[in-house]
Amino acid sequence: MSSRAGPPPLLAVDQLSCLFGGLVAVDQVSLQVQPGEIFGLLGPNGAGKTTLFNLISGITRPSSGAVHWKGMAITGAPSHRVAALGLARTFQNLRLFSSLSCLDNVRVGLHRHSRQPRLQALLGTRAFEQREAELRLEAWQLLESMGIAELADRPSTSLSYGQRRRLEIARALACRPELLLLDEPAAGMNTTEKGELAELIHRIRADYRIRAAHSLTVLIIEHHVPLMMELCDRLAVLNFGRRIALGTPLEVRRDPAVIEAYLGSAPQEDS
Amino acid sequence: MDTLLQILINGISTGAVYGLVALGYTLVFSVLGVINFAHGAVFTLGAYLTYLLLGGAVGANGLLAGLHLPFALPFWAALPIAGLLTALVSLGVEASAFRPLRRQQAEPLLYLITSLGAGVILVNLLQILLGAEGYSLPTTALGSLPTTLSLAGAQLRTVQLVLLLVAAVVLAVLSVWLEGSRSGKALQAVSEDPTTARLLGIDSDAMIRLGFAVSGFLAGIAGGLVSLSLSISGPYFGISYGLKALGVLVLGGLGSVPGAVLAGLIVGCAEALVPAEWSGYRDAIAYAFLFGVLLLRPQGLLGRPQISKV
Amino acid sequence: MIDSTLLVQMLLGALLGLSVYLPLACGQLSLATPGFYAIGGTLAALLSTRVRALGGGESASGSGYPITSLLLEMLLAAVLCGVLANGIGAVVLRLRGIYLTIATIALVEILRVVSLNLTITGGAVGIFAIPQPFDQPAGYALFTLGLLLLVCWLCQRLAVTRPGLAMAAIRDDEIAAASSGIAIERWKRLAFVLSALVAGVCGVVAAHFLNAWNPRMGNFDASITTLAFVVFGGSRTWIGPVVGGLALTALPELLRPVGDLRLIVFGLVILLGPSLFPQGLITPELLANVARRLPLPLQQSLRLEKVRAQGEGKP
Repeated sequence: MSSRAGPPPLLAVDQLSCLFGGLVAVDQVSLQVQPGEIFGLLGPNGAGKTTLFNLISGITRPSSGAVHWKGMAITGAPSHRVAALGLARTFQNLRLFSSLSCLDNVRVGLHRHSRQPRLQALLGTRAFEQREAELRLEAWQLLESMGIAELADRPSTSLSYGQRRRLEIARALACRPELLLLDEPAAGMNTTEKGELAELIHRIRADYRIRAAHSLTVLIIEHHVPLMMELCDRLAVLNFGRRIALGTPLEVRRDPAVIEAYLGSAPQEDS
Repeated sequence: MDTLLQILINGISTGAVYGLVALGYTLVFSVLGVINFAHGAVFTLGAYLTYLLLGGAVGANGLLAGLHLPFALPFWAALPIAGLLTALVSLGVEASAFRPLRRQQAEPLLYLITSLGAGVILVNLLQILLGAEGYSLPTTALGSLPTTLSLAGAQLRTVQLVLLLVAAVVLAVLSVWLEGSRSGKALQAVSEDPTTARLLGIDSDAMIRLGFAVSGFLAGIAGGLVSLSLSISGPYFGISYGLKALGVLVLGGLGSVPGAVLAGLIVGCAEALVPAEWSGYRDAIAYAFLFGVLLLRPQGLLGRPQISKV
Repeated sequence: MIDSTLLVQMLLGALLGLSVYLPLACGQLSLATPGFYAIGGTLAALLSTRVRALGGGESASGSGYPITSLLLEMLLAAVLCGVLANGIGAVVLRLRGIYLTIATIALVEILRVVSLNLTITGGAVGIFAIPQPFDQPAGYALFTLGLLLLVCWLCQRLAVTRPGLAMAAIRDDEIAAASSGIAIERWKRLAFVLSALVAGVCGVVAAHFLNAWNPRMGNFDASITTLAFVVFGGSRTWIGPVVGGLALTALPELLRPVGDLRLIVFGLVILLGPSLFPQGLITPELLANVARRLPLPLQQSLRLEKVRAQGEGKP
């Protein structure tokens, strides 16, 4: 791994496999995500895309293979450690905190960055309250960047579907990640919202370039092929747990294996 | 009472009861994924019902003081009848403690709480109605069988051998039913994968009720066997069995039928092997096993590690 | 109507309710509260009757036990319960929630069996003539009230700081919480240890108050009772278990006929509560309504804007 010149990829998945009983969900998948790129994962339902996310983010243990983060092995590391290293994710089926307000949902994302001296927290000193206010402001600003700041104090359960998706992204961004894993963020959105999503992702990355110390790399699972073709720098296509294609959108679009397995005659249509 | 044979018989007898109780837990856990904390109370009810059906009389302390059925059945009739009655009660527990929550898709934690409540109500109702004193075996229970038998030079209590026989028969019938019959296999299907089972046309609600009914039947039989072979020391004695059976359940592995039986025998024999001077600590054996299992092998002897979908 | 003796029992009930509440706030059902209560009580009983240096036995009536010794006992009980809870938590909390519940049931039973058989704890008969730091129940009432206020304050601080938010997140969705960087096991263990501390300290006070201690204090029945406090009072905020503990301890004493059916009533509470009143009596909505009706300056000084907002916007 370290024998080649240049910095290691941000995320490297190496022959990763996951077996559930007799079912092979992920079959020796390898891919590398370079810093700063938008990397897409395509594939039909059940191809193993979400399982791959779960393997990377520590929710499921792989049966074999390895995951490396900036050259460091994180295979099988627990979710909170993966998050601490700089990976944040959203979920296909939305996992918001139902008893918390929108603002509090995002504040949870700030968990690792909101530590305060114990005595000050216990006594509720002015310094403590000031820092709390700063953190609250940061959370509120994240809501604002997602366009849902006016919902800050509402219970997260009272939001529309599209708003909830954006809330989850806001929470993930609160972790100040270097790599953002988005699991079908456009699911359930109409065409207009899908278009807005691409713009949203570009805007988030632009924001990062200005404010954060590092750029934001994105690894995204999606079904909507035109969206992915337009959005992603590179793509990998999974089918039945195996990687059947890897490359730029143009390369993948022309790959016969992909056409056969998934795209059908879709390359002819443009959105 | 000191021969190894006697100790083994004691151990296996106790173990058989633990196994039956643990099996009841396992069945409900298989189809619903939660532990029915009213199980120990149903077990206690089975013991009292069997006692009454065997012709026993209620003491003077409860509201139904002096209650006495006008007949006295032999054990081979009393046990199944008690079992059927407890099966019905178990269905009542399902309807009151589990179904309302299932409709609300409540989290597993809440089922523990409501079933605890159901169990507490049952046991305390028993106490109010039948009083808190202990009862021992009515003399007509065994019918015409002698009280002790001679085997390999030792005097063994017939009730224990009866217990073993009944337990073995129940276990055999249960296995045959689970593997061989439509309903048994349907029950297993629901426990493996509820969604697919429903897609295949299996009514999971009906299967859940079936699971509770069989579980209640097992609890009733187990309670009846204890009332047959030992005495009932009061309405709370079943709580102890119910709690220890949780240790047996964890040792065997949640959801494993052979595991429950195996673990029951292990715990029963371990308890029997405790020497007389430490006999007060016998009750702690099951829990010691429990902590040991959680420390070393949480899925138990024969349990399957559970996978959850994200 | 409510005399000092009943008041002390009510206050202890509120504290035990808080002990059950803390792991529940993290999504964990622990029934170990009576076990740690028993450890605290046994420790206090043993130390005060056997360790001359602590000042028990100074007077024939058993009164005049130094408060400093009482506080020392509380500290020791807290340490003992904390260490035990930490050890058990380390083993059990990485497993599914049901295993914690079963393990806590097992713990209570093991403690019961051990204390029944150990001669040093007096076997089934227990320990008598425990020295009294206060002459009157009123003294105990004041002391226990102080203890309750302290624990309530700690619970409130917990709720409004980082641990409270982390625990609420864990309770709602463990996977999402972990993916947000929360070390779930660590916070569950903290809740469990705090729960044990409160219960143990309670036991110390109770042992002196009751003058005697035996294995029947702190058994499985008590698990049911304290659970009922939380289910009835409300499981979403710390105020719930306090109200539940106060109310459900007073109820059987005030309504004598109910007293005999006490356990059946508690059983009904926890059987019907979760489906009919999932959040119990004291809900965030209720608190928001109360907060809204307070005069505005009072609202602002207590910083109740958040409490108000939480109640708005029905889910």
